[in-house]
Amino acid sequence: MPDERDAPAAGLLRLFRAAPFRLTLLSLALFAFAGSAFMAYVYIAATGEAHRRTDAEIRREAESLVEVYNRAGVAALNPVLVSRMAGERRFVYLLLDRDGRKVSGSLAESPAEGFTGAPTWVRFFLSGQDPQGRPLSTPARGFQQRLSGGEILFVGADTGDDRDFVVTIVRGLWGAGALVVVLGITAGLLVSRNFTRAMTGLTNVVAAARNGDLTARAAVRGAGDELDRLAEGLNDMLDRLDRSMSAHRHAGDAIAHDLRSPLTRLKARLETALLDIEAGRGDARQALRQALEDTDGVLRTFSAVLAISRLQAAGEAPNAVVFDPAGVVGDMTELYGPLCEDKGLEIGSDIAAGLTVRGNPAFVAQALANLVDNAVKYTPQGGAVMVRLRRRACGDTEISVTDTGPGVPHHDRDRVVGRFVRLENSRNLPGAGLGLSLVAAVAQAHGGRLELGEGPGVYDGSGPGLRAALILPAIS
Amino acid sequence: MRILIVEDDVSGAEVMTRGLSDAGHACRVCHDGAAGLEAARAGGFDVLIVDRMMPCLDGVGLVEALRRDGDETPILFLSALGEIEDRVTGLRAGADDYLVKPYAFAELIARVEALSRRRETGSVLTQLRVGDLEMDLIARRVFRAGREIDLQPREFQLLEFLMRHAGQAVTRTMLLEKVWEYHFDPQTNVIDVHISRLRSKIDKGFEHPMLETIRGAGYRLDA
Repeated sequence: MPDERDAPAAGLLRLFRAAPFRLTLLSLALFAFAGSAFMAYVYIAATGEAHRRTDAEIRREAESLVEVYNRAGVAALNPVLVSRMAGERRFVYLLLDRDGRKVSGSLAESPAEGFTGAPTWVRFFLSGQDPQGRPLSTPARGFQQRLSGGEILFVGADTGDDRDFVVTIVRGLWGAGALVVVLGITAGLLVSRNFTRAMTGLTNVVAAARNGDLTARAAVRGAGDELDRLAEGLNDMLDRLDRSMSAHRHAGDAIAHDLRSPLTRLKARLETALLDIEAGRGDARQALRQALEDTDGVLRTFSAVLAISRLQAAGEAPNAVVFDPAGVVGDMTELYGPLCEDKGLEIGSDIAAGLTVRGNPAFVAQALANLVDNAVKYTPQGGAVMVRLRRRACGDTEISVTDTGPGVPHHDRDRVVGRFVRLENSRNLPGAGLGLSLVAAVAQAHGGRLELGEGPGVYDGSGPGLRAALILPAIS
Repeated sequence: MRILIVEDDVSGAEVMTRGLSDAGHACRVCHDGAAGLEAARAGGFDVLIVDRMMPCLDGVGLVEALRRDGDETPILFLSALGEIEDRVTGLRAGADDYLVKPYAFAELIARVEALSRRRETGSVLTQLRVGDLEMDLIARRVFRAGREIDLQPREFQLLEFLMRHAGQAVTRTMLLEKVWEYHFDPQTNVIDVHISRLRSKIDKGFEHPMLETIRGAGYRLDA
């Protein structure tokens, strides 16, 4: 295939156009959307958590200071504040006296504007310098309260660290997202390459079949997935198609081969009749009558061959229904009863009740009629024909016809089922040699088979007889 | 009988016309479905013989159109399609009988005459009578010249069909189809044997045989 071996760029393009790759991209887009929503949620949750933590620390710090104040008053609080300001703590402080004047603290003035005396939370900015000396403004939060003596205490902390924490989380999430996208695309490419490879196999088989090559088969990888099922379905379809095509070819060959000789005979007879009439001798009527009989024979052969071919091509019984074969078997036994008696044959039947088969009753009837017909034809006077309907232990239904005629030698049994085969000792009997072929075709179309076996054995100079059984499978 | 033949095969129609005219019927021929439908609608025919595959309007379309009009003229379908499902679609379209090409001429005439008879005996009969042969369909008893004849169920059905078509030729295939209800060509003379048994029951001991064999065609029951 040329389109499998072209430039890598084109191959890559085909890969990008493959359905699974597009599906991968689509699911990645969905994933990115969901991921963004997730990150937004994490951001909000993390920020809130960080703030809560800072607030708790501020509150604890303020409480410890209030405790000092309550125990020993502002005189004790002031040095504690100063010492804490000197330490490496993240807090800022401001202590104002009753009149709002600064007593001590690291802030110049309170960020809480319009303080009414109720404990208040505020959000403000701390100005400072970065290590290079550039001015820096960091967000901060603080808590202001009036102490029992009337003084005002403000404790705050910068929340820059919290932001760093959240930013780190978000950055991590972005990194993970990017990794997922890269992995997703890679996985998509791998999956679509496998898929494309399998699909290409299927497409090639279809293309071959379209071009008339019915021998190509798709590879089944054994994964048991949809692609395997598709490949199996395709192969099965091709098998049937191939069988049906060759059946048609065969039918054509067989018709051409086996109609040619009777048609030639017919032509010769008509020519002779014409010569006779022109020469004014002989009875042309006899020749015409003979020609008509020949024509009937040709037409019967033709119909039989056509019926066989159509059954073989269909591969299944047309208009199949579930029915009890007892009716058909009884009818055929009854139909042939008088003929047997006239020929001095005994006919008996043993018909099991309540069986069901799936198929076309008309074809089953015709197949059974052919079997009985054969039995009557080949069994000498004084013999017997037995028609039996029974269920085998395996569930299959068996319709058999046993006679006491000469039977068919073991080595000929496969052959007599073939088209137009007539054994040497039957040449003088009427028939085109298609009876058993039709039975076999009917059996096959029903998913069953035709079995030929020995009859009751040699007795009194006749026998061993033939037992022909049409086996129809149990309904699954 | 007036017969309309709708058949696109000109020489086939000609042979058919000649044979049916020899049998005493008046024939008119149309070579396509549309012309056939027009002629059939004009009316005045006892039986229509319609080919299944034709130009303009095929046989199934023609039959369906006529049946939609409420036209109940008996129709015999001719077809090269002989499978059971083809037969079913043909009969479902409204045809009364179905004959597969190639057919024996005697078969065609027998079926056409049987169709015309079918229309005449539309009413439900309880008794059939042909000459001195009587059949009581309710009690399922048969008498000839007042003497009761004992028949097997199948023989009774066979005789009933023959009596309903008395004076007409019926073929072996028709008997297998209408009495046994199977559609295939039996390879040996199975039907003949049934007929000869029936014959021995209804004709034996009587001076005048009623059930005749018609060479190349089939059988006929005559008074």
